[in-house]
Amino acid sequence: MAREENDTPTPQADAEPSSPPDRRKLLGLLGGGAALAAVASLGGCKTTSPRAEGAQTRRWGMVIDLKRCIACKACTIACKNENKTPPGVAYGVFLEEEAGTFPHVRRTAFFRPCMQCEKSSCSKVCPTGATYHRADGIVAVDYKRCIGCRYCIAACPYGARSFDYGHDYIADAKNGYNLIPSSEYGAAYGTRAKGKSPSGNVRKCTFCLHLQDENGDYREPTACARTCMGKAIHFGDLKNPEATCLVHGEKMQALLAKRSPYRLKEELGNEPAVYYLPA
Amino acid sequence: MTNTLQAANEGRSSRLLGHVVLLALSAVGIWALSVRFSEGLIVTHLTQHVPWGLWISLYIYFIGLSAGSFLLSTLIYVFGMKRFEAAGPLALLQALGCLVLGMLLIWIDLGHPARFLNVFAYWNYSSVLAWESALYLAYSVVIIAELYLVLRPALARRAHSGGPLAGLAKKLAFAGEAEEKAWRSKAARWMLLLGIIGIPIAIGVHGGTGAIFAVVKSRPTWYTGLFPIVFLVSALASGGALLTFLTAISSRLPKAQKLDLVRSLGRLTVGVVALDLLLLGSEMLVVFYGGIPHHVAGWHQIMFGPFWWIFWFVQVGLGAVVPILVVLGKRTGNAIGPLAIAGLLVVFGIIGVRLNIVVPAQIEPEFATLPDAYHHLRFVRGYFPSGNEWLVGLGVVAIGTWLFFVARRLLPLDEAEQLAGDHSTAAAGPPPIHAKAEGRPAAAAGHVSSGGDL
Repeated sequence: MAREENDTPTPQADAEPSSPPDRRKLLGLLGGGAALAAVASLGGCKTTSPRAEGAQTRRWGMVIDLKRCIACKACTIACKNENKTPPGVAYGVFLEEEAGTFPHVRRTAFFRPCMQCEKSSCSKVCPTGATYHRADGIVAVDYKRCIGCRYCIAACPYGARSFDYGHDYIADAKNGYNLIPSSEYGAAYGTRAKGKSPSGNVRKCTFCLHLQDENGDYREPTACARTCMGKAIHFGDLKNPEATCLVHGEKMQALLAKRSPYRLKEELGNEPAVYYLPA
Repeated sequence: MTNTLQAANEGRSSRLLGHVVLLALSAVGIWALSVRFSEGLIVTHLTQHVPWGLWISLYIYFIGLSAGSFLLSTLIYVFGMKRFEAAGPLALLQALGCLVLGMLLIWIDLGHPARFLNVFAYWNYSSVLAWESALYLAYSVVIIAELYLVLRPALARRAHSGGPLAGLAKKLAFAGEAEEKAWRSKAARWMLLLGIIGIPIAIGVHGGTGAIFAVVKSRPTWYTGLFPIVFLVSALASGGALLTFLTAISSRLPKAQKLDLVRSLGRLTVGVVALDLLLLGSEMLVVFYGGIPHHVAGWHQIMFGPFWWIFWFVQVGLGAVVPILVVLGKRTGNAIGPLAIAGLLVVFGIIGVRLNIVVPAQIEPEFATLPDAYHHLRFVRGYFPSGNEWLVGLGVVAIGTWLFFVARRLLPLDEAEQLAGDHSTAAAGPPPIHAKAEGRPAAAAGHVSSGGDL
């Protein structure tokens, strides 16, 4: 099993045995081994199409403290504002559920951004590799490459992806609102127009990666974390044990150590980068 | 004499009516397509929870028909089941037509159709859809090559005796009929080779299309190892059924020979349909016994949801039980008409199967209250295709059907069938004593069992 953990072994390196072997047998073995390795790597692949974007030394993540959350949903408004998502497209949503019968009722509520999974289902199924892992763990979408097949939406266990069906808040293209481009991906895709990307693409939360500086560190935290008045959304680096929340300054690892954190649908093995602290 | 003349006239007028209806539907479809392409997918009723709808259902439906038809043709060209041989050319044409329709439908469904080549330019090896795109291409090459080999002798005959495409055939410089005969044995070897290459490709094409869904762990109804197999089996069922129907309505073989062929195809089809029911039962047993809420939800949606009748009436009733009874029936199982209807019912029923595969599994959102989290029509629970989706679907099917019948008339399929028919009776050995013994099931059944080892 350990062999499959290696970085893609080149067949040439394996094909240099000390004694002259039965070539055909060896080739067969190699072929079988390669096939096995391929299947195994399919099961556990971290990045299907990694690209050298973002800081290798970081793993951006969130710790959402549900005890502090007052369910005001300002996070979703901040998200809309920051990314200027059109109607019907939602990056961060707020989910509420009621249970029990009066007077013994209970309400669960939580904010759901993209989980930025370590083993993301979306990038695995994407036929073009348009959705991909950055070095800092954020899952991004290359709108120019995306063909809009929506396989990733079907595959995402968290419902975190939206297809841009082309709805607009204001129909008039000359309206001032429509002249400002969305700031996501550094406003790389310009002003919104019919039939032009990101219309017709699948879109998702990017942990506001346009707020990163050239070193891949955040100039300011994500919109949802920044706006949270209960200080419930902690955002920071999960890789470095000393890293602190960019909004409130607590050590990220310490937050996770104190209370029993959980991740959504842990059983699926996607390894999200978003943790919840129980209410 | 007057009788046949009248019949011919009737045939011509009903054919004319068919053309008119198909062309009208095609025109409506082209208009709907133009709206879809100018406005984008905003014209659909797809949502963020149900991103795949009617067009994807039709896409897997036609890919299934294609793979099923092709696999049936390999029974002839690889496994040497001579009794099906006359149906071979039609099976291949059907496989090609349905593949084109399937690819067209998934292309229409893309958010950026103009970028479809990105799949090949930036091929992502871990995506089943990327593998499928490559397989569809390889598969179309195999089918076209096989179709050419099968039709070549008939085309050559036409080059000399005239008929549609005779000019083209002459331009392709086919040799004389005698040389063509010598060439034919070489072609048989090629057909065997192409068939052998084609079998894993066809299995990959449709089993793989099933795998597109089966690997999606976020939708528990799809996420089973049985799923790709169910796809393959229902593909064979639909392919066999369509072949039964089209052979029954369009073959010009002598009546007895035709009945034999249609009956063999019908029996094969309902056998596969029965196997499909077995797999369905197994799947349902495991899901309901386990009772895991998410697994059950999808099946609950299929069986008791708002479109429960698709499952009970279209998929199981008309699509499986009725055709099985028709083919097994003593009288109905030995007459071309009822057999044709049984085939058509299965073809129709599999549409229900495909719809039930794609849509209900997506209805239950990833989180139960997700539809309430955002108030917009793209976030509502449930899905029903929009008018544009229906018209595009209908139009594309009409265009495909019309092109199929045009190709059926232009290409020398009748001659190829005839040649294959002669060949198969010659190869089957015993003289065709029952050639006029239609209505004598014993003799006919003897012929059926002499043919193969199915």
